[in-house]
Amino acid sequence: MNRSACLESLVPHITDQLVVPSVSGQWIWGHLTKEHDGNLLLGSMGNALGVGLGMALGLPHRKVIVIESDGSVLLSLFNLPTLGALKPDNLVVFVFDNEKYSGSRISRPSATAAGTDLAAVARDCGISHAVEVRDLDSFKRESQGALSRQGLGFVVAKVEETLEHRQAERSTADLTENKYRFVRYIERTEGKAVFRGRG
Amino acid sequence: MEPELASKLVNGLKAAGINFVTYLPETRLSQILPLMRQDEFFQLAPVASEAEGVSIAAGAALGGKQVASYMEGTGVFVSTYNLLTIAERFGIPMLLLVSYVGSAADKRNSFLYVRRGTRMIPVLEALGIEYQIVTDGENLETRIKDAVRMMHALKLPVVLLFTGEFTV
Repeated sequence: MNRSACLESLVPHITDQLVVPSVSGQWIWGHLTKEHDGNLLLGSMGNALGVGLGMALGLPHRKVIVIESDGSVLLSLFNLPTLGALKPDNLVVFVFDNEKYSGSRISRPSATAAGTDLAAVARDCGISHAVEVRDLDSFKRESQGALSRQGLGFVVAKVEETLEHRQAERSTADLTENKYRFVRYIERTEGKAVFRGRG
Repeated sequence: MEPELASKLVNGLKAAGINFVTYLPETRLSQILPLMRQDEFFQLAPVASEAEGVSIAAGAALGGKQVASYMEGTGVFVSTYNLLTIAERFGIPMLLLVSYVGSAADKRNSFLYVRRGTRMIPVLEALGIEYQIVTDGENLETRIKDAVRMMHALKLPVVLLFTGEFTV
């Protein structure tokens, strides 16, 4: 299964959801969604699940989508029991698992290549709707279901390794600009101030 | 920590507008947790690692919450990556409520804790994170408000290191 095809299939379903991509597919997603203001570019591994979880808890009426990779989830595996304990019903997590550290340019296998089943780990952490998919039709079915239902969703998509991300057009907005664009989007759509406390 | 001091701390957080707190319980300040749990003003998020405590708080802050993360001093070391790559790099106002274990005024200091205390300030300074050491309840509400005002002014994490009376 191809990651870009999966991401492309999500695009028609994006309206006012807040999307937190990890480094996996961040440029592809930004390009596909024309740098939508609801995308938060993190630019680091091991943070997207935590940030997305905090956002989902802080804005319980908004759908939050996290786009993760196997390497990034493995880096912060403690997120899964926390996610399973808190169970925000407005969060959907997509993990693109190519079983490799492909960003390293030497393509070393990750632990999922040696048998770690992230969907099973998630289920054992209390995330009841955690599934693994291996073809695009299954991905479309599970992703659309997760996006439309109320409840914590966790979809692990087994994908082939590609180098498409290296060809993807990269945003010229740095992390700070992206943060403020995102924050102003929240302010516009929520009608509330962000970062305006005075103590 | 005396119950009165725990109340003072929680009231100070509320007066400063902190309404979302991630936490990993520890020994010195944990009396604040039942008090916060009883008050619907606070939204609490228990975590498995202080590292995600910082990331979760950052996500809530981006959604408009006034956030704090409560942890033992060792949690600062654990969450250094998240403080650097999210809180500091993005510029997220966040109050860190840290029990300053192993510090000179830690009433329960021992060989178990002391290294964690002596390395705390150099680590915070290396990270460029502002901190205040709080040893007693005098002007506590003002000190918390000052720290919250500072974190918003800087748009960065600010640390309150609690020791002395808070470690009894």
